[in-house]
Amino acid sequence: MTRTPLRAHPLGDSAVTILFGAERSTELLRMIHSAARSLEAAKIPHVEDVVPAYLALTVFYDPLHVSYEDISATLMAACDRATHSSAKSAQSREHRIPVRYDGMDLEAVATSTGLSVEEVIARHSRRTYTVDLLGFVPGFAYLSELDASLQLPRRAQPRPRIAAGSVAIAAAQTAVYPLDTPGGWHIIGSTQTVMFDPTRDAPALLAPGDTVRFERVA
Amino acid sequence: MITITRAPPYVTVQNGGRKHSRSFGVPRGGAMDLFAIRAVNAIVGNSLDAAALEWALGGGAVRFDRDCLFAIGGATARATLSGKVVAPCTTTHARAGEEFTVEQITSGRFLYLACDGGIDVPVLLGSRSTYLPGRFGGYDGRMLRSGDSVALGARPATHPAEGFHSAADLMPRYDSEIVHVTPGTQEDLFDESAMRTLTESDYRVSTASDRTGYKLEGPALGNSLGTLPSEAGCPGAIQIPGDGLPIALMADAPTVGGYAKIAVVSEADLPILAQRRPGESIRFQLITIEQSQRALKRRVSDMHTISQLASRSSPD
Repeated sequence: MTRTPLRAHPLGDSAVTILFGAERSTELLRMIHSAARSLEAAKIPHVEDVVPAYLALTVFYDPLHVSYEDISATLMAACDRATHSSAKSAQSREHRIPVRYDGMDLEAVATSTGLSVEEVIARHSRRTYTVDLLGFVPGFAYLSELDASLQLPRRAQPRPRIAAGSVAIAAAQTAVYPLDTPGGWHIIGSTQTVMFDPTRDAPALLAPGDTVRFERVA
Repeated sequence: MITITRAPPYVTVQNGGRKHSRSFGVPRGGAMDLFAIRAVNAIVGNSLDAAALEWALGGGAVRFDRDCLFAIGGATARATLSGKVVAPCTTTHARAGEEFTVEQITSGRFLYLACDGGIDVPVLLGSRSTYLPGRFGGYDGRMLRSGDSVALGARPATHPAEGFHSAADLMPRYDSEIVHVTPGTQEDLFDESAMRTLTESDYRVSTASDRTGYKLEGPALGNSLGTLPSEAGCPGAIQIPGDGLPIALMADAPTVGGYAKIAVVSEADLPILAQRRPGESIRFQLITIEQSQRALKRRVSDMHTISQLASRSSPD
């Protein structure tokens, strides 16, 4: 892969976004996840949060104690070291999430894809997905990569309320709704697994780079 | 304890928000006007990050169930304690059983009520702030309703004098037309004319504005960028969706999003935008990140000055 040099840009007074590349790719994403983990582990003074995404990671810091110039230099050097290091980050976890395939859109997904309901379930539950990104709402993990035959655009009319625990698909991704929220994805199942709990030490079950398998339960 | 005797249309418990949970997808949240809430806390002798009530959209009433030194600030309101006018940014002493009433918010949007000892709700993910979309934090993750009682922390041993008030020059200039911005993370993807349009036009706050974001009305900015791969945003980030009309992200905005960010409102000036009502306008002015961080430091140092002056006013 051709490496573009890292670029830092302020995101307001308290954050710096470090751009790793211009094109989305699995390799770039893994590099960003790994750099984010290194930054977290490095416990750099005045750093509050590290938010990895598709092309960039963003570091939130305390501008009362460190200037943009100083923190961005520190972070660029740390990211540069992380991307050149061959050390594998071993912190990503594997999760198994039991799913009851009883979603209200399951039949419609079967119709739209031209597959049987059984085949939709089989193709959804046979893959190992990777967490690309956390966001939208607390604990919402975007999981890639959905079987090509199951890829449908989002619903034209988002629903005002989707129940927490709903397992859904849209475009090339699948996800579990962690909270009751509005949403436009196709609901194919449900899980009892708690994806987000603000009283837990690690409130979100899934972290970027983790892998997930959905296991069919009756 | 304080009891909501007549709930306004909106009232929640807030403080400085959550600074260590963005990686879990939890927004910073917290007070919409971080300087008003710090100021009212400083005035009553609390730590700047103590929890207070954030109040909006109309009148209501609260009863103090213990003796309490309190102050209001942020939006301007016609407010009384047992019928006597309550001055803004000034300590007022309430005896147990007295009722504080907001008749009307006359200008601005978010009013803060701080009581000595602060509001004592559980700390969740490092903050006492209410996050309404996730239904957690603050008081049961929801707005306060008539009849709800919230606990107060212990009264400090010493407290500022009654009638202590902070000088206006230590507070944000809410009447300023100008809101400073720094270049956003996708500023280079826009035409040169886009930044010029953004900074040379008046923008009005739309009715589509809440704790998540303020849609702004004015000249549309050419945007052929569409949706980009999601990345982190922050309160104050000005993003440009397909219709070209800017949206300023506010306290409860999601941690990541896919619209290009042309600029970010300076934290020192974010209260000025937060306190604008639908229909009211502002004008953006571009500054450097160094200037913006200097302004933020000055503003925070003003808050500490209020704390020191409050502490020196103590009669004890």
